[in-house]
Amino acid sequence: MQVLLEQLVNGLTIGTFYALVAMGYSMVYGIMKLINFAHGDLFTLGSYLGYTLLVIGGGWVTTTFGVWGGVVVAVLGAMLGIGIAGLLLERVAYAPVYKAGRLPLVVSALGASIFISNGIMAVWGPRFQAYPATSIPSGSILLFGDFRITILKLVTILVAFALMALIYFIVEKTLFGAAVRAMALDRETATLMGIDFRKIILFVFFVGPALGALAGVFAGLNYTRIIFNLGWSYGLKAFTAVILGGIGNIPGAMLGGIMLGLMEALFEGLVSGAWKNVFVFIILIIILIVRPTGLIGEKIAEKV
Amino acid sequence: MNRRVFAMVTLVVTLSALFAGCAGQGAQTETIKIGLQAPLTGDYAAEGQWAKQSVEVAAELINARGGVLGKQIEIVVADDASNPKDSALAAQKLIAQGLQEVIASYGSSVTAPAADLYDANKVVSVGYGCTAVRLTMDKQRPYFFRTAGRDDTQSEFFVKFATEVLNAKRIAIMHDNQDYGKGVADDAMRFLQPYIDSGQVEVVYFDAITPGESDYSAVISQLKELKPDVWFFTAYYAEAALLLKQAREAGLTTIFVGNNSVPTPEFEKIAGVDAIKGSIHLNEPMPQFLDFPESHEFLNAYRAKYNELPGSIWAVYAADALNALAAAIEKAGSTDPDQVANAMRTMTDARGITGPLLFTERGDRKDIPYYAYIYNDQGVLELYSGQ
Repeated sequence: MQVLLEQLVNGLTIGTFYALVAMGYSMVYGIMKLINFAHGDLFTLGSYLGYTLLVIGGGWVTTTFGVWGGVVVAVLGAMLGIGIAGLLLERVAYAPVYKAGRLPLVVSALGASIFISNGIMAVWGPRFQAYPATSIPSGSILLFGDFRITILKLVTILVAFALMALIYFIVEKTLFGAAVRAMALDRETATLMGIDFRKIILFVFFVGPALGALAGVFAGLNYTRIIFNLGWSYGLKAFTAVILGGIGNIPGAMLGGIMLGLMEALFEGLVSGAWKNVFVFIILIIILIVRPTGLIGEKIAEKV
Repeated sequence: MNRRVFAMVTLVVTLSALFAGCAGQGAQTETIKIGLQAPLTGDYAAEGQWAKQSVEVAAELINARGGVLGKQIEIVVADDASNPKDSALAAQKLIAQGLQEVIASYGSSVTAPAADLYDANKVVSVGYGCTAVRLTMDKQRPYFFRTAGRDDTQSEFFVKFATEVLNAKRIAIMHDNQDYGKGVADDAMRFLQPYIDSGQVEVVYFDAITPGESDYSAVISQLKELKPDVWFFTAYYAEAALLLKQAREAGLTTIFVGNNSVPTPEFEKIAGVDAIKGSIHLNEPMPQFLDFPESHEFLNAYRAKYNELPGSIWAVYAADALNALAAAIEKAGSTDPDQVANAMRTMTDARGITGPLLFTERGDRKDIPYYAYIYNDQGVLELYSGQ
């Protein structure tokens, strides 16, 4: 029983990261119908930005603001930086090819992904970097039985859920959110209704990557090591989560991410690690056969 | 008369001096030439330089003791540029010079084509940085030997270490489903089989993790449940560091044993001192920990000449390849390849920098020293010495 509970908590943690990255994917897809392949790399860039903030000046941030203060500075700094990078990406890589159709957009996204990943390699080097131990909050608490969880992990989960709730609230319950959803449904009609397309794009390309950056910094803090192609495996899993939950649907991305994490942990922990990904993708295929639009994806009417 | 006598004496003295000079020079020109094929350029250039320097130091030590069969040793170097194509060229170059014994080379895929050429031309070759099992086990090359161990040496060593030193009853073996890691894990399983059959050991976990991921907590929880005494990890440092860090954070205190790809500066940096201390790592002997009389002689001479130690054990194995050849030539009484190869297989008292130099029928090194190292409380690697 305790093992099962442990694995549920483990899966929840893994799933939280997937969900955070997945939300960025899903937001962009919902509005632009574009799979933003560069999203995983923005996540990595965020992780490196947080790392840089924590190591510059011999850990000046940590010594000045304390360990938790340093974490806050690193997270906010990275979110701001990557939010701006997301806007830049939209201007440089996507805006010029909007009119060319969806395929050039996807190619441009792939190019941006390669560019960012190689840029990170050129600047920070091809080897593993490690978040400095002095900047990582230590300490753990006994959750139940002999199952320990680090305070950092707990904070990560709480912050992620709070943010996801906030985004959910903005998108589903506010007037601005209604505009975002209207834009996702039908761009032309929404524009005719007087919704400013530019404003929605700015929101999506700022908030999506910023969420990725948050996940990146927390991944660095929790797992220490970062490498230039870190975003690849997270990106792949987050994309899977998006498909699982229903693409373009924000609650779907959250649900997909957490479900994916839970499935992975339960299968790896209770059956076999070697066959984990095989199992996960079989489940994905089954779900897509039964519900092609994902778990809570809405059926999109064919445009005539 | 006096003059004549003086002239004759002068003549005799001069002539004899001349002859003596000739004789002396003759003894010096007649050296035993031994080839060294090393990657002096290319990816492994550093290894090649260390190998060259080590072999030269070893040659100087042998020559200072009077050489082999009363002759001095001369090293002829050829560069194989760290790749199989240039390796064949380097081998042909050394063969064309009429060498009968060579030391070659670093890297299993680089060594293989050269070993074939040497073998076809009846030249004894001794590898020093090639550990693939296939080099000696796929086909018999009568003239090929190696001073380095095989990839499965560490699996065998692990089983001995875990059962005899750590007294493990419940063993967990974890690999990454890739060529190297799975190979080591499978070999460990093979060597463990007798202990499993006799009921002395139980393998409670044998599975793979997915490399490249960040969160291994599911596996850690599983290990906590299974309670192994020893946890053998047979893949690379990046995953090892994360696993160990997460295990210690989760309160899993099982003895961690890493293979020879784990203890690296990156491993120490990612996992951190708190996680790595007390973890044990199986490795080829590191030059600074070699402790045979011959090791000290060699390392002191090397340090005196280059003001540092050889950067890797493979360079030291290259020096030992020369020591093995020297001992075999001495035993055979000639440099004839057939006799030398035979002597290599049958010699029993040759000793090198890395311990006894004994070879199997197939050319593998027998009783190769392998060591366990442990990270101390400061996170510094030291030789493992009991509980």
